[in-house]
Amino acid sequence: MTTLAPNPLAEGLRDYRVAEPCLMVIFGATGDLSGRKLLPALYNLAKQRLLPAGFAVIGAAIDDLTDDSFRKRAAEKITEFSRTQPIDKQVLDSFLSSCFYSRVDFGRLDDFKALQRRLGELDTSRHVAGNRIFYCATPPPTYETIVEQVKGAAMVAREGFHRIVIEKPFGSDLKSARELTQVLQRVFQEDQVYRIDHYLGKETVQNIVAFRFANSIFEPVWNANLVDHVQITVAEEIGVEGRGAYYDKAGALRDIVQNHALQLLALVAMEPPLAFEANTMRDEKVKVLRAIRPIVGDEVERSTVRGQYTKGWVLGEQVPPYREEKNVAPGSLTETFAALRLFVDNWRWANVPFYIRAGKRMPKRVTEIRIEFKRPPHLTFGREATKELDPNALTLRIQPEEGISLKFGAKVPSAGLRIRSVTMDFQYMTTFLVETPEAYERLLLDCMIGDPTLFTRADEVEAAWKLIDPIEAAWRDGHPSLAMYPAGTWGPPAAVKLLQQDGREWHRP
Amino acid sequence: MAPAVNATIKPDPDVVWSAADVSMAAVLEALDNLRKQFAVAEAQDAEHPHPRSCVMTLIALTSTDAEERRATRAARAIGKLHPAQLVVIRDQPDLRPGRIDAAIITDTHRPDASCCPIQCELVLLHVKGAAGEHLASLVDPLLQSGVPTYLWWVGTPPFGKRELADALRICDALVLDSARFEAPYRSLLELSRLGSSSHQRLGLADMQWARLEPWRETVAQFFAPADRRVLMNGITEVGVDYVGEGRGNRVAAALLIGWLSSALGWKLQKAAGGGGGIVAAHFSASDGWRPVQVAFRSVPKAQLAQGEVSAIRVAGAAGGRTFQLTVLRDPERPPRPGPDIGAGGYQSQHPAGGEDDAGLELAQRRATWHRDVLNGSRESLHHTATGDAPGESVSPPAVFVRERRRADNSLVLLTLIDIGGATLRHVQRVEPEDEAALLLRVLSFGTHDNVYERSLTAAAELMQAI
Repeated sequence: MTTLAPNPLAEGLRDYRVAEPCLMVIFGATGDLSGRKLLPALYNLAKQRLLPAGFAVIGAAIDDLTDDSFRKRAAEKITEFSRTQPIDKQVLDSFLSSCFYSRVDFGRLDDFKALQRRLGELDTSRHVAGNRIFYCATPPPTYETIVEQVKGAAMVAREGFHRIVIEKPFGSDLKSARELTQVLQRVFQEDQVYRIDHYLGKETVQNIVAFRFANSIFEPVWNANLVDHVQITVAEEIGVEGRGAYYDKAGALRDIVQNHALQLLALVAMEPPLAFEANTMRDEKVKVLRAIRPIVGDEVERSTVRGQYTKGWVLGEQVPPYREEKNVAPGSLTETFAALRLFVDNWRWANVPFYIRAGKRMPKRVTEIRIEFKRPPHLTFGREATKELDPNALTLRIQPEEGISLKFGAKVPSAGLRIRSVTMDFQYMTTFLVETPEAYERLLLDCMIGDPTLFTRADEVEAAWKLIDPIEAAWRDGHPSLAMYPAGTWGPPAAVKLLQQDGREWHRP
Repeated sequence: MAPAVNATIKPDPDVVWSAADVSMAAVLEALDNLRKQFAVAEAQDAEHPHPRSCVMTLIALTSTDAEERRATRAARAIGKLHPAQLVVIRDQPDLRPGRIDAAIITDTHRPDASCCPIQCELVLLHVKGAAGEHLASLVDPLLQSGVPTYLWWVGTPPFGKRELADALRICDALVLDSARFEAPYRSLLELSRLGSSSHQRLGLADMQWARLEPWRETVAQFFAPADRRVLMNGITEVGVDYVGEGRGNRVAAALLIGWLSSALGWKLQKAAGGGGGIVAAHFSASDGWRPVQVAFRSVPKAQLAQGEVSAIRVAGAAGGRTFQLTVLRDPERPPRPGPDIGAGGYQSQHPAGGEDDAGLELAQRRATWHRDVLNGSRESLHHTATGDAPGESVSPPAVFVRERRRADNSLVLLTLIDIGGATLRHVQRVEPEDEAALLLRVLSFGTHDNVYERSLTAAAELMQAI
């Protein structure tokens, strides 16, 4: 593959991240994801002048719509869900004029052939040089059919780039993840496959990398010599919110831990990549995931906790138990809370536990990573003076109050000597009061540009499933038993014990 | 371009401290006290006040009431978004006796219910007499350690004068707006000389350059696809339409051509200006033999300010294909009913005689004469009006305020692409921006811009050749 020389006219343009013109086919364009996320994100990219001339969206779904009725529907969704309000009519009209619709029954090859003809016409009229993105905004079971039909209609045989975007879950275990990869690779090479984990598109997640590798003062302490342990919390106050049917099959381990939580762990634990570039970044993340000590056999009982919420109070409102949520089996044993103790078996992190907890119906929505440091080796000031002193801790808050806080000891002003913990807070909100782009905007643009850095590669997915599968298997066998916790609490008592037995405790976010 | 941010602050500032004829030590003490009071009040039961953060020191230097108002408003808006040490200086060298009058303005806000309140302070200094010529000694105690210091010269900097050199000693970057320069032609040449002669560390940021970014982006986007890169080597014609006549109004157009020529390695061969604002320039492309014709033309556009670019066309042929890119500003926008005249706006007591520099100079001479007459009788007029003793300083009357920017500056860019087939239309909208947004943009993205500096040099060369 030859590398294109940089565009000399783009040099010095500050926000210049412009894709080549392309056609984006959204399969399932009349569905929820498309209406809530994709179309509003594309509109906002247009508003920021980040869509190139010639770019077009081709909605493909089973509904009988015309271009005009699809545009009308798109306008309604964008108006309702766009993060920027009020809607700019000029931008919207211009964006809608580049939206088209083709009725496609995924089971009918003829529909795909008709779609292909439409794409061919648009290729010429919009000077897009055959560049295409196929976005599967559809349930995972449809991916295989779509890929086969795309191949059957010869939609990737022409010139230009061709990429496919799929949404998580990427399989439900290692076997199904591998099967999915094989299905995709019948038509697309791995570098043409964009697996979206929208968490990675969040500004604050990307900032973990910036924080670690754009500063020189943290890396020297970022290792087993000084770090006591790491806590990763991904808590939601909401329940399953209409996703009962899916969630009851997935559970917290597969829905959150396998992807979001392990991705956060990988970003915190990885070695410095050579560059913020797709392959080097993902290589380093894979190394971490592969270095995580497998939890198998009796270790599952000792190092994992699974819980399910019962009725309780969240944010001042009484909420029903999980088993009474819509589309959830009355006797469901699916976990809504998962906690793990992991070890990354490499030189940097030898014997440093990484505690992960993820759950629904917790007291509040919070995602944070806390790096707790070891206590000083010698109590210079004596036990009495330092009895209120906690270990140093660095907290990276991902949401909702994005920021970084460092906890350290300071002398209390007085004649005597008393040292207590203080925090030094950095809040994005009060430092850079700028509108943060929606994760989908970033990720859609990255896909158009051809930058897969923030997308998950097949080997990352597989490494994560390799870790999760034995835990999942043990849980299915009832080890450990499902622990119940009232909604509005930080999980079952077993989660507290998981840390207590190591002489530690969960940080209260 | 960033959307307007001025609207984020309340129009009337809270002046929490002020004093006449003060020392800088007194100003610093007052600032310190205000910060302590806020920290204690804000902490309340929490015991630990939240630490302050600061990303820069921003010093705005103004010489008129209108500039001071603009600078204060923009600085406050910026302080709300990026915590900063903010200083606005009103330099009044002609007023005697020399002294410093100071005020501190605070804006308190809470970005989010979950965040702690933040107080931004702005120090306003009215410097009368000679102290303003020694800016470095004046503001040095106010500079925040460890963060960059930006000097925003709100009007036209005194190029070549000692006070500019003195001011540049304490700052990391000079920020200005070449679209607002008086005598823009000469000032641009001076700016170019400053850019090439100043020390390496000094950044130079021009808000006019940031304003041109949508044009540059649109042209760069056209050549972004791999199969169109070859077209860059086939450019034979470039046309720029601008508003107004006279060489002073060609600065933005020249910067765009300077950008293209320096990026693509074109060498200026000759240039000439004709009647009606037409300019023709001949470049040779980097391959040495292909000529590139550049033409400027003045096209009246009632809704645009003098000097603004209204269209750019790039055409040529390469690889067996002809192409034409046309970017038009506000193609369907209705003309505005009339000029904005208001506080700090354009007061046409002295007809400018067109926007040509010669006309401007005549108008300026008339304005200067008018001002001299007023200044000559100022003391007695002031005494008659107020009963104050003669010698009490008063602000000089503003008799000639020229406003090149318009409040309603949103724009729509219509791009027409023709590559040997059907013409593709692409509409982009650039949200209205204000001075604070532009300033924040140039400060956020860094002020060391090699592309600007080389474009400025090339633009100055072209302007001189015309």
